[in-house]
Amino acid sequence: MSIQITLDGRTVAALPGETVLQVAQREGVSIPTLCHDPRLDPAAACRTCLVEVSGQRRLQPACAWKVSPGVAVTTQSETITRHRQVLLSMYLADHELDEEGLPITRGRTNDLREMAKTYGTPIRLEPSHPPRDSREDVNPYIGYDPATCILCARCTRYCDEVEAVSAITLKGRGSATTISTVAELSLLDTTCELCGGCIDTCPTGAMYEKKAPRAQGASPLEKVRSTCNFCGVGCQLDLNVQDGRIIKVTSPPAGTTVNDGNLCVKGRFAYDFVHHDERLKTPLIRRQDGQLHPCSWDEALDAAARGLLRVKERHGADSLGFVSSSRCTGEENYLVQKLSRAAFGTNNCHQCAAT
Amino acid sequence: MTNSIPEIRDAELLFVIGSNTTEAHPIIAMEMKRAVRRGAKLIVADPRAIWLTEIADLHLQLKPGTDVWLLNALAHVIIAEDLVDHAFIERHTENFQAVIDAVAEYTPEAAEQVTGVPANHIRTAARWYATTRHAGIYYTLGITEHTHGTDNVYGLANLVLMTGHLGRVSAGMNPLRGQNNVQGANDAGASPIYYPGYQRVDDPAAQARFEQAWGVPLSPEPGMNLNVMMKKLGAEIRGLYVMGEDIVLSEPNAGRVEEGMNGLDFVVVQDIFPNETMRFADVVLPAACFAEKDGVFTNSDRRVQRVRKAVEPPGQARPDWEILVELSRRCGYEMDYADPGEIYAEMAGLCDKFAGISHERIDREGGRQWPCPTPDHPGTPTLHGDGPLKGKATFQGIAYRPSAELPDPEYPLLLSTGRTLYHYNAATQTRRDAGPNAKQPESFIEMHPRDARRLGVVEGERVDVASRRGTVGAAIKLTRRVKPGCVWMPFHFSEDNVNRLTNDAGDSVTGTGEYKVCAVRVEPRAAAR
Ligand code: SF4
Ligand code: SF4
Ligand code: FES
Repeated sequence: MSIQITLDGRTVAALPGETVLQVAQREGVSIPTLCHDPRLDPAAACRTCLVEVSGQRRLQPACAWKVSPGVAVTTQSETITRHRQVLLSMYLADHELDEEGLPITRGRTNDLREMAKTYGTPIRLEPSHPPRDSREDVNPYIGYDPATCILCARCTRYCDEVEAVSAITLKGRGSATTISTVAELSLLDTTCELCGGCIDTCPTGAMYEKKAPRAQGASPLEKVRSTCNFCGVGCQLDLNVQDGRIIKVTSPPAGTTVNDGNLCVKGRFAYDFVHHDERLKTPLIRRQDGQLHPCSWDEALDAAARGLLRVKERHGADSLGFVSSSRCTGEENYLVQKLSRAAFGTNNCHQCAAT
Repeated sequence: MTNSIPEIRDAELLFVIGSNTTEAHPIIAMEMKRAVRRGAKLIVADPRAIWLTEIADLHLQLKPGTDVWLLNALAHVIIAEDLVDHAFIERHTENFQAVIDAVAEYTPEAAEQVTGVPANHIRTAARWYATTRHAGIYYTLGITEHTHGTDNVYGLANLVLMTGHLGRVSAGMNPLRGQNNVQGANDAGASPIYYPGYQRVDDPAAQARFEQAWGVPLSPEPGMNLNVMMKKLGAEIRGLYVMGEDIVLSEPNAGRVEEGMNGLDFVVVQDIFPNETMRFADVVLPAACFAEKDGVFTNSDRRVQRVRKAVEPPGQARPDWEILVELSRRCGYEMDYADPGEIYAEMAGLCDKFAGISHERIDREGGRQWPCPTPDHPGTPTLHGDGPLKGKATFQGIAYRPSAELPDPEYPLLLSTGRTLYHYNAATQTRRDAGPNAKQPESFIEMHPRDARRLGVVEGERVDVASRRGTVGAAIKLTRRVKPGCVWMPFHFSEDNVNRLTNDAGDSVTGTGEYKVCAVRVEPRAAAR
């Protein structure tokens, strides 16, 4: 049951209850946003997405305005440009700027800076130097840098609405507002589950990952799409690789994969094991002295083959057991059972987990 | 899962049983939270007041191991109040009479005596579930890790079938798989009774198909499941090949597993970190982790997704598949694959369910959910969309059997074990990360303050926990999440391996160990010395 609306003079189809932003995104019309995240209820707080709506005297937020049959929406006009410039100049007055006169990034992605670059503003207001506290927090993963915070409340709303633990809140009033926890506790002592969703949703890098290197080095960052190796949800994640090492893990955009842009503490942060010193790095073999010693692949594989074959010779194929792993890939499980069945002739092959 | 993870958000009722979803499957829990925000009812059946009970409409806090009583009583109410879906039962099922007979005695009042759940709560839950159209059941190890795990699953299936909650979006019967690729390992035939694609080893047609493909005669004798294998170590089992699993830490009754391991003639261990099982290994093969190789994982909703190589393995470590190919060759059976994509293609060619899936297709289109029989088939988000898969589904009447070991004067507390949010299984990976260690550095035992007072132990005190099979240490954590008489421990800490305590009595069908119920006593350290 679709309805028709007019978007920048074109007639397009929409579903009742959709927002202007949803229709525009589908139609490839770009509208800048800052406080919008498709996983959250619209807050209409940042006012960057304002558009003209027929029958409305004031501009309306595209992220929250629901379309009705026949409505005409304009996304580009003199009024909108003027509004955006005023808004941008207020944001700029409120933030530390670099030599280019753009908001600082601290080496992270900052949508406000991108927006200032794209749209620009001729208006210069007096800098307001807002008195925002920076709170030191001992938790190992999540940092907060008030200097780039735009108070869009995406982090706190994510924590409320998606993770549903309400560990962080807006604190203070007016220009002194910051993000904090109840009673200023360390996140470790709150209901926080270290999901990192606040980092993921933050548009300006104010919520950031402490572990990840701040400034991106010379070699380019490569993102490799993969599947989380922990639980059975199968979240899709992007391994961010630089100089042959995973430097952080991010989630694909909301709405594109089974996890809808979300990850849990394990998927997002527990990747240190990959490059950990204690990883097994060489084959080992037990020698006369009863200890395991490093050896070559050839020696290890020959010994493994010989040992298994000898057990089969002496006691029959069914005296062998092959324990496979739900941690390994489907292909590897296929090969273990093939090894067990075709090479040795036994069905004594089972993976380690029952559910 | 018969249904898909993204369908959860549109459910009108969620019945979560034996699953601490926010800790074990956090992202599925997010979908549940979203459904509740949108107005879905939530019923949680769990012995502990887990986080989800904070937003639940109803918490059925049953005694551990009394699931069959609860499930039969729910069925009893649904039948007694004639809330069954007659048309569905008629069209898609058989043997309903068996359930009618089996549950006749299981009145809510009698169930209250055994389970501790108030009869009126059982009635309410039954009515809500039966009369809500988009109502899904979600469960995990809390249902299966019992000697009556298979009965529990039948009990749930009976509820789904009698109310017709099958073949419909945002409903169904949904086991949440504990590990990343449990589904995929089963799919690939890492099972003593199934070839890849759930084709039985004792089915001559399947045997012929695989003999033809692999070019060797195969055994029609079903093999031993893991639980049986572990009990026969050093006896019928003389040699073991262990890939990616720390059996000494993770299997129940660890003391007995260690004894058995000592009696083996030959052991190969293939893993990414040193582990407990390596103490018994003759040869250790260093493997690549998920970020260092290509392949697929299949998640709980049957979605086949890619893992891709992002970095090089450390030192001489190699991907498991490469090691297996090499080893097989040296054992006299030639395997030859250029990459995991070829391995997947061979498997897909032997299994109708996955025949339409390939690495190339996933790379192009993203993950696909099986059954997916042809390359142009879209995959199957909701199973049984046009009626149950194979003909008619059969009801199974079930009767309560107590857990294999229950508390007695000598071991007066009932212990359940499980996973926490911050760690993962043997925790060889998560304990190497700062966050989990800051949140949960050591093993603990959850205990009700009333039991603690009786024992004279306080918050944080190190105690010994003993069962008939062994003793481990833990720090006391006082909480009203558990009921008096029940205690709970995580299984992530190798220095205090809870599986020294757990019972290796297995489910009669699946062999799954009874991790969720065994009898223990707790001793203050000072008194013990
Ligand atoms: S990490 Fe997750 S739970 Fe913690 S504050 Fe951020 S959003 Fe909230
Ligand atoms: S990110 Fe968390 S919820 Fe998602 S698959 Fe990994 S462990 Fe599971
Ligand atoms: S994006 Fe619409 S008001 Fe912020």
